[in-house]
Amino acid sequence: MAYRLPKKGLDQTLRAWAEQSKVFAPQKREGYAQFLPWKAGVELLLDEPHNTRFPPKAFLLPQSETLLTYNRKLNQLETPTLQISPRIIFGIRPCDAHAVALLDTVFATQENPDPYWRARREQTILIGVGCNQPATTCFCTSVGSSPFDHAGLDAIFTDIGEAYLVETFTERGEALFAGLPQAEANDEGQARSIQQQAEAGLTPAFATDNLKDHLDQIFDSSLWNEFAQSCLGCGICTFLCPTCFCFDIVDEAQRDERVRNWDTCMFRIYSLEASGHNPRPSRAERTRQRLMHKFSYWIEHANQFGCTGCGRCVRYCPVGLDIRAMLRKAAATPSEVVHAN
Amino acid sequence: MLTNTYQNPYLPTPMHVLRAYYESTDRTLKTLELSFDNPQDRLAFFRKFNPGQFCQLSVFGKGESPLGVASAAWEGDFVRFTVQKMGAVTKALHRLQPGDPIGMRGPLGNGFPLSKWKGKNLVIIGGGCAFSTLYALTKHVQHPQNRPDFGQIIVIYGARSSGLCMYKHDIQSWYQREDMEVHQAIDVPEEDWMHHVGYVPDVVKEVAPSPVNAVAVVCGPPIMTKFTLPALVQLGFPPDAIFTSLEKRMKCGLGKCGRCNLGSKYICKDGPVFSLAELNALPADI
Amino acid sequence: MTELETKIRAEAERLLSEHLVDVVVAFRKEDAPLHPQPAFFTQVDELQDLVYNGLCANNLANYLTRHPQETRIGMVVRGCENRSVNALVVEKQHTRENLVLIGIPCEGILDWRHIVALTGENVLSVEENGESVCVHTRENTFAFSRVELLHPSCQRCLHPNPISADVLLGELKPEGDPELMRLRIEALENLTLEERNAWFRHEAERCIRCYACREACPMCYCTECFVDHTEPRWSESGVTPAGMQAWHIVRAFHQTGRCTSCGACERACPMDIQMTYLTDKLNLDMIDAYQFEVGMDTTTQPPFATLTLDDKNRFITRGK
Ligand SMILES: Cc1cc2nc3c(=O)[nH]c(=O)nc-3n(C[C@H](O)[C@H](O)[C@H](O)COP(=O)(O)OP(=O)(O)OC[C@H]3O[C@@H](n4cnc5c(N)ncnc54)[C@H](O)[C@@H]3O)c2cc1C
Ligand code: SF4
Ligand code: SF4
Ligand code: SF4
Ligand code: SF4
Ligand code: SF4
Ligand code: FES
Repeated sequence: MAYRLPKKGLDQTLRAWAEQSKVFAPQKREGYAQFLPWKAGVELLLDEPHNTRFPPKAFLLPQSETLLTYNRKLNQLETPTLQISPRIIFGIRPCDAHAVALLDTVFATQENPDPYWRARREQTILIGVGCNQPATTCFCTSVGSSPFDHAGLDAIFTDIGEAYLVETFTERGEALFAGLPQAEANDEGQARSIQQQAEAGLTPAFATDNLKDHLDQIFDSSLWNEFAQSCLGCGICTFLCPTCFCFDIVDEAQRDERVRNWDTCMFRIYSLEASGHNPRPSRAERTRQRLMHKFSYWIEHANQFGCTGCGRCVRYCPVGLDIRAMLRKAAATPSEVVHAN
Repeated sequence: MLTNTYQNPYLPTPMHVLRAYYESTDRTLKTLELSFDNPQDRLAFFRKFNPGQFCQLSVFGKGESPLGVASAAWEGDFVRFTVQKMGAVTKALHRLQPGDPIGMRGPLGNGFPLSKWKGKNLVIIGGGCAFSTLYALTKHVQHPQNRPDFGQIIVIYGARSSGLCMYKHDIQSWYQREDMEVHQAIDVPEEDWMHHVGYVPDVVKEVAPSPVNAVAVVCGPPIMTKFTLPALVQLGFPPDAIFTSLEKRMKCGLGKCGRCNLGSKYICKDGPVFSLAELNALPADI
Repeated sequence: MTELETKIRAEAERLLSEHLVDVVVAFRKEDAPLHPQPAFFTQVDELQDLVYNGLCANNLANYLTRHPQETRIGMVVRGCENRSVNALVVEKQHTRENLVLIGIPCEGILDWRHIVALTGENVLSVEENGESVCVHTRENTFAFSRVELLHPSCQRCLHPNPISADVLLGELKPEGDPELMRLRIEALENLTLEERNAWFRHEAERCIRCYACREACPMCYCTECFVDHTEPRWSESGVTPAGMQAWHIVRAFHQTGRCTSCGACERACPMDIQMTYLTDKLNLDMIDAYQFEVGMDTTTQPPFATLTLDDKNRFITRGK
């Protein structure tokens, strides 16, 4: 269904939602965009051409969360009570929502679903705002997403000037807009042309034909060393990435808790074994893992790239390693070396 | 409560140490036999268990470690592990005494594809503490009910020294069995050692098991595996009849934490047992 | 290509073609706007990619410890980088004889975050003309004076000139005003305990523990950082207040008498966390208590790395 929501009415809509749920929306704090609790009167950052700095995946997979608590009396680990109240994430960008849909394939699986992810996912409604003017670092259309992608969303807003066109995709999304006037053909037409224009504004960042096969073939290439020379091996490109999901499990004995923390294949100790052996001993193997996971292994798992083109890793890499340029270089690297043991 | 809605795959099953004893004279290897606190957990475990699988053993405060199951289901209502002392968790495991509580998650991973091996000769090749899951396999096939499913059985097991040989008394008794052939080896000669001396790959070449209607299973330290696999290929074993069990650092054991991937496969979920044919199609990232 | 870039390329070309070094560590032109990349030139024909401008934000001395001591390295160094290199030589991380330092008196590094904050995300290019800087974005063009855009560490910089370079390119700059760093620290010290605590928590607790600060710092070269130790574990691993505070305090302490106030850590941080107030305070303490400034030569050990019987603190002899 499609509705028309005049911009003047947004505040009232959010106010109504906030009575039932926690509502989070992008706002500026510390000089950058963050998802913060919505309160009447706050200034929203909906026109910023890009995303929040910290990815909203943290709403579903917090960077640190208590998995289990330790019962000293029984000498046993127990599942903590997880109270998650309904939440609406308003203003999430389509690339970030697409990433949530990707992460569902990891955590909301048939076999061994992750109960923490599912509990949060069920309580979380994602209302997107499409991107009329994607940033120069965005490349969603190159990786199978788009500035108005629906994946993972319950509804999406398109800014059509005086009003938003609201399109709903799920029952719970639909329920949030009951009572709004339905969009007129004119609004929808306007939205379509804005959407098309936004999409047309993005040019292919790298060639994706055969990308997976090609990467598989250059697994042993020296190209990875070239990237690794400047790479710091920090956590930025993966922690800020909306699709990265790696985690560590550690015991915090002083708090009687078993905790999971985000982890990343870019860290040396991630793959370091007790014997001292490290299958990825240098930044070259680690950089390769990051790119191979996103652009090869994900294809085998979900038949999609594990990158939604949000551009965060491009913007925040402290040594300017631009994943788009890396993939262009990868594509230009001849595949004479075929891996085999 | 979460548990009301979903099973929590991160929650260890409560267990107790039934028996704990050193396996090696240098006390670096210790065997733990664990019993279940709750009968329903025991049933659930043995419904799923298959030799070749592993569990996450958990000592609260230190963490979890993946360890291969070293017992067969018919041996009793316990689960056996042999633990090499390495870092934080394995040291804590070594301190455990009979009666101590412990957490266990599992069985995890695929285990050996026993149903595909029906009717075949088995060549079981192990080295070091990685022999633990092969011990489980051997115990499994030795059971009178399972034995007819397999043809000839050859076990080749190497350790650095006799003091490091695991499951000594039991393996000694295997020499008396007529339904299998046993070859033990140590790296350098010792007095009173009556078996092979040399590295496992060389012993394999010496024993030269026939590849006809046979599968070979290799578990050992990386260096042993590296040289044994080509030796088997040379003997004529096709890549899809050679199996090995892989190790990588692990956390979740469920294919979620991302840590143990080898190409697009997660060793914890899609493995740890792979055929050489499968491995040949995966990148060398181990 | 600027005049300075021409000179750097010529010098790099000389070093490579005369086989005086195995690699030249400098910057190459950016893939992502605002971020020239640290680069490692081994062939003369690669040098066409070499750039040098105000956006070169990394401390190149960071890459010294990635090379074995035998590697002969030519490195572009500004004031802080030169001192970092010296500090690393003191700590025996490289042999000075195997280094050729191409010194560049520094005009200060432009703070890319500040540029983004002022002009928006869609920066296409940045043009520097002496004291003025022009930022072209997809939508607009903005003019600034250089000082407005300088990274805070560079605003307070004491020694912009490389002090022991083998080759010096460009004109020497005036030394910085030592009061600037002191004023900032004193302003913090004059806060009440509660206010200081609030300041500290506010900075530390935004941390996402990506360790970019550590990885960007030339002096953080330990193979295993204390936060990564498992036996014993020195701090909580997660993004808990205790874990993040421990990280910030202990990392700063490990820099005592070693940090050159280059600010590379802050420029790398994805969460815009200020952390140099901790290291700068420790640096001032080193000056006040020991008259020690790191990296001023290649022989003097930092005070905390030395043991002398006439130590200021008499703990060595007092116990007797
Ligand atoms: C499928 C599988 C089966 C195994 N079976 C056995 C066995 O039967 N007997 C045995 O002695 N050892 C076995 N290992 C190796 C054993 O898991 C490691 O030696 C052990 O986890 C080291 O943990 P630690 O805490 O003592 O060491 P630390 O170095 O303190 O390790 C800290 C953490 O790192 C992880 N880790 C470190 N090294 C490894 C590793 N090599 N493999 C997996 N995780 C690691 C663990 O999660 C551990 O909690 C097996 C490993 C795997 C993957
Ligand atoms: S953000 Fe950049 S420097 Fe850090 S790990 Fe990623 S590619 Fe390397
Ligand atoms: S890889 Fe980079 S661009 Fe792609 S989704 Fe992750 S952070 Fe965004
Ligand atoms: S890219 Fe690395 S950190 Fe990200 S999900 Fe893949 S393995 Fe994990
Ligand atoms: S701590 Fe920061 S300012 Fe000090 S040397 Fe390291 S990177 Fe430079
Ligand atoms: S770079 Fe910033 S966010 Fe990352 S660990 Fe350092 S202070 Fe924390
Ligand atoms: S151990 Fe987590 S994915 Fe394998």
